[in-house]
Amino acid sequence: MIAAAVTKDVALLLRDRGALISLFLLPIVFIVVFGSMFRFGGDSGKPRPIAVWYAAGGPGEKIVKTLDATPGFRAEVLASADDVRAGVAKETYPAGLIVPARGLVELSIDLGAPVQVRGPVEGALTGVVMRALAPVDLSAMPPLVEAVTPPGIASPMKNISSFQVTVPGNAVLFGFFIALTVAMAFTGERRTGTWRRLLAAPVPRSHALLATLIPYYLVGITQLAFLFGIGAAAFGMQVAGSLAALVVLSLAVSLCAVSLGFLMAAIGGSEKQLGGIGSVVLLVMGMLGGCMFPRAFMPQFMKSIGLGVPHGWALDGYYAVLVREGTTVADVAPSIAALLAFAALFAGLGLALFRFER
Amino acid sequence: MTAAALSLRGLGKDYGARTAVGAIDLDVVRGECLGLLGPNGAGKTTTISMASGVVTPTRGTVAIGGVELARDPRGAKQKLGLVPQELAIYEELSALQNLAYFGALYGLAGKTLADRIAWALGVVGLRDRAGEQVKRYSGGMKRRINLAAGLLHEPELLILDEPTVGVDPQSRNHIFETVRDLNARGMTVIYTTHYMEEVEALCDRVAIVDAGAIVATGTVAELIAAHAGKGVELELAGEPAAIDRAAAAAAAHGTVARDGGTLRVVPAGGLAPVIAAVEEAGAAIARIQSRQASLESAFLALTGKTLRDAP
Ligand SMILES: Nc1ncnc2c1ncn2[C@@H]1O[C@H](COP(=O)(O)OP(=O)(O)OP(=O)(O)O)[C@@H](O)[C@H]1O
Ligand SMILES: [Mg+2]
Repeated sequence: MIAAAVTKDVALLLRDRGALISLFLLPIVFIVVFGSMFRFGGDSGKPRPIAVWYAAGGPGEKIVKTLDATPGFRAEVLASADDVRAGVAKETYPAGLIVPARGLVELSIDLGAPVQVRGPVEGALTGVVMRALAPVDLSAMPPLVEAVTPPGIASPMKNISSFQVTVPGNAVLFGFFIALTVAMAFTGERRTGTWRRLLAAPVPRSHALLATLIPYYLVGITQLAFLFGIGAAAFGMQVAGSLAALVVLSLAVSLCAVSLGFLMAAIGGSEKQLGGIGSVVLLVMGMLGGCMFPRAFMPQFMKSIGLGVPHGWALDGYYAVLVREGTTVADVAPSIAALLAFAALFAGLGLALFRFER
Repeated sequence: MTAAALSLRGLGKDYGARTAVGAIDLDVVRGECLGLLGPNGAGKTTTISMASGVVTPTRGTVAIGGVELARDPRGAKQKLGLVPQELAIYEELSALQNLAYFGALYGLAGKTLADRIAWALGVVGLRDRAGEQVKRYSGGMKRRINLAAGLLHEPELLILDEPTVGVDPQSRNHIFETVRDLNARGMTVIYTTHYMEEVEALCDRVAIVDAGAIVATGTVAELIAAHAGKGVELELAGEPAAIDRAAAAAAAHGTVARDGGTLRVVPAGGLAPVIAAVEEAGAAIARIQSRQASLESAFLALTGKTLRDAP
């Protein structure tokens, strides 16, 4: 009977162009658009070019040498100070250094850029100049600071691409949209009267619920597999951690999404209301959870709010699996547990509110 | 004696403060066709829904073929086929896909399912278009597939809730003939409709439902003999206000249904007090016509309503 329900619901979904587009096509479009908007880390392997001009007889050559020796940067010497300024203004270079024969070195950088973007470059270049101009040879000094990853965090993989972020972000955002499909399916069954037929049939009422929920759970899993599959095949998304962790997380995400859909169906409302209010709710949850803009870049307050929605937990788990080498199922256990807790909460509320007869 | 095909005892349903169905007692004999007649909102659908396990009754019991619905829902429901009032079909799917799903709900699979689908499609005459999406069907064809979906498991008892509503005469005849055939082959049928002539032609027995209660049961002939016969139709002339007063006055002396300037009256005693009351109210009687004894006049006498002018 469940198998027949799966066959029926899949056939219905295949006839529903709107649902197919919003579950399978739209996320791909979003992955591409967002993927090309954020280029963070996209070129992290290559050192960034810094424009430099220096007057003869000054400390310029020393600065260029120090800059070339600094990981992540290389110097590009231009013909004039104005060339350096023009290059920075045109964003050909993230910053430039203009070194006169004596006196203050000019750091050419867009002071209007957000401090998160500008700060590291500014700090690094100031350090370069200081080291080059120091009266003693600082490179001969013993190191004062050592960077170490704390235990408990696996080291991130090399060559993180933006798709490493936009694929899971949109997979979670649109994965939760299956909730809308579930809620609409219940409303549609009630509207047409097929729900009556189901209740009149010799199947327990619990089976009547499962007959609507299980097919969409399977569709949800298929959707996530499709999105991560395309992410890997077409956008070079890599899985640094274990595949098993990715699978278990995805099973939990779909379960949570279908439970949310059941809760939405139990709360009720017409198909129109669901389409309007429901999709806004899902979008806001997605935003808070960091699906569009990663929570890592949010202020602390917003970061914690993101853990109030399942999306935030799902993404924490996915980022760990995709980016940190050696991530196992146990490493993402907090995310999985949180997703299952949300699923239980949604399903429990849904069961309390759901009316078989209206 | 074998158990009744359907037996309702004290069956009732409240929605909040409103009682949709009071406490119905009804026995449907095996093999009969019982017509369920009643004006809009009388409680027909609610009664049928309780009998088929779709709605949980507030009070009373249901037994289908001797199996109590509350005690063994699976066993009871297996004996019953429901054709809901609305088109309970997935219009995006083909007739075949629909029937395959609904058949599976009754535990049918494999060759049995395929055979039953072919049979049901044959019964409703839709075999050649079974692969098409239902939304491309005509209104009448949709009604026929709605009927087929209730037949797949060859139920002992078939309950049809207004199966011919909003259907062209040709399809109506088809559905009507189909039900008659099924009944002739031994299937017990409960048939709800607003069309008096369908009930007269099809049903052995009629139960008239009004305001959540069964107000009369019997054969068509019995109901006519007991409740109809003395009906008259008064065509009135005069101001609308006078006709209003006349209708109210006549109601004191019999059952009255009003259709514009025409009053259909089944007098409680003689006709004379009715006429006197109407004239006293200031309305002029343009024409008096005695109405033939029919199920319709019995219905009017029992419910004070005409069936057809129901919206
Ligand atoms: N789910 C419900 N909630 C509240 N009231 C209801 C519900 N279903 C039915 N009712 C009320 O119960 C009464 C009987 O309704 P029902 O649908 O059984 O009538 P019916 O005889 O089938 O009418 P019709 O000929 O229009 O189909 C009506 O007053 C209706 O408003
Ligand atoms: Mg009804």
